[in-house]
Amino acid sequence: MNMMDVRHHPENELLLAYAAGRLETGMRLVLCSHLELCPACRKRVRALNALGGVLLGEMEPAAMASDALARTLARIDAPAPLVERSKKVSAPPPLPPGAIWPQALAHCSATPWRWIGPGMRWSRVSVPEAPEANVFLLRIAAGKYLPVHTHSGREATQILYGRFHDGRALFGPGDFDAADASIHHQPVVQDGGECICLASLSGRLRFDSSIARLFGSLVGM
Amino acid sequence: MTVVPIDPERSAKPGDAWDEALRALAEQGDKEAFARLFAHFAPRVKSFLMRAGSPEVQAEELAQEVLVAVWRKAALFDASKATASTWIFTIARNLSVDWRRRGRGLDRQDDDVDFDLIEAGEPGVEDRLHASRESARLRGALAQLPPEQQQVLRLAYFDDESHSRISTALGIPLGTVKSRVRLAVAQLRRLLER
Repeated sequence: MNMMDVRHHPENELLLAYAAGRLETGMRLVLCSHLELCPACRKRVRALNALGGVLLGEMEPAAMASDALARTLARIDAPAPLVERSKKVSAPPPLPPGAIWPQALAHCSATPWRWIGPGMRWSRVSVPEAPEANVFLLRIAAGKYLPVHTHSGREATQILYGRFHDGRALFGPGDFDAADASIHHQPVVQDGGECICLASLSGRLRFDSSIARLFGSLVGM
Repeated sequence: MTVVPIDPERSAKPGDAWDEALRALAEQGDKEAFARLFAHFAPRVKSFLMRAGSPEVQAEELAQEVLVAVWRKAALFDASKATASTWIFTIARNLSVDWRRRGRGLDRQDDDVDFDLIEAGEPGVEDRLHASRESARLRGALAQLPPEQQQVLRLAYFDDESHSRISTALGIPLGTVKSRVRLAVAQLRRLLER
């Protein structure tokens, strides 16, 4: 795999929530897309999993039902339940060469690119096991920007292709960004190429101007 | 809320014994090895789940389900990547995420991507003992953390609580919870990288 120069990583708090199994699906998928590309964060997750293992090992054993082992062996002898594997419903919307479609989304479907404004397109990603998850791709042309906005909940973004600057820092392929209500930003795509991001939102984006709010309501953000 | 200090001696089980049992299970379908794994891990998984808020009946069912998965997936266990405890913890975590979802009538469709498969190459000889060594160091590292950092870490794994609820439960500001989590994880990493 192409090792990119990842500069922006998820915070420990987010990795901990993931390791503890407490991250909502949309955030989890975006985080997993980052982990696929980032050996350093995979290492942190392994340490946090090991911490879970240590805590498990320390538990005072609870009494199991008297026939628990027998019932478990019976379940093992029964044929494994047929898990309805999701069909790989649709290919990702067309991506430029060099953009990587995350493995974490292999079982998801995505709509074709839809126009939402000059130089801006988006694609909704449907997650079969969590229809309520708000996951989407944004594709923004060089030099364009998203209207200034903040968030009522949390936003996680993984950059799949290209670069943007949000007034705080420059983000490139492989970078991860999380923003919450305390962050007020305006991502601007750098000249020299378009930018494609995978994002998940809990809560809604809040745009500053009424025209931008209208724009937001058009795309259901 | 009380903090139980972590005793590295008590939990310093020879991880390798369980690794061996898993190998015997994978290679020979050894029922005795499975019974030993069951006797050790099922009651701890059940206890873990109850501590994390599952009702007893559900924790019992899920603990059995976790051990069924241990049998079926034993061949995927790689002692150089994780200890038996860590591996079984991740199975229990993934299955309990599924259960919460099933409660809403939704089945999980795919397993999580196994990031360990992404790591390139075969582990070298010196990596063989890496996972159990890492776990032993982790236990030591955890024991060295200040009690308040241990407490927020434990709450993150055991209690279905967001940081804001942890903040209410402990009567400390949200920012303090967040900074304790940050400090604790950073400290763990430093201790592990030594």
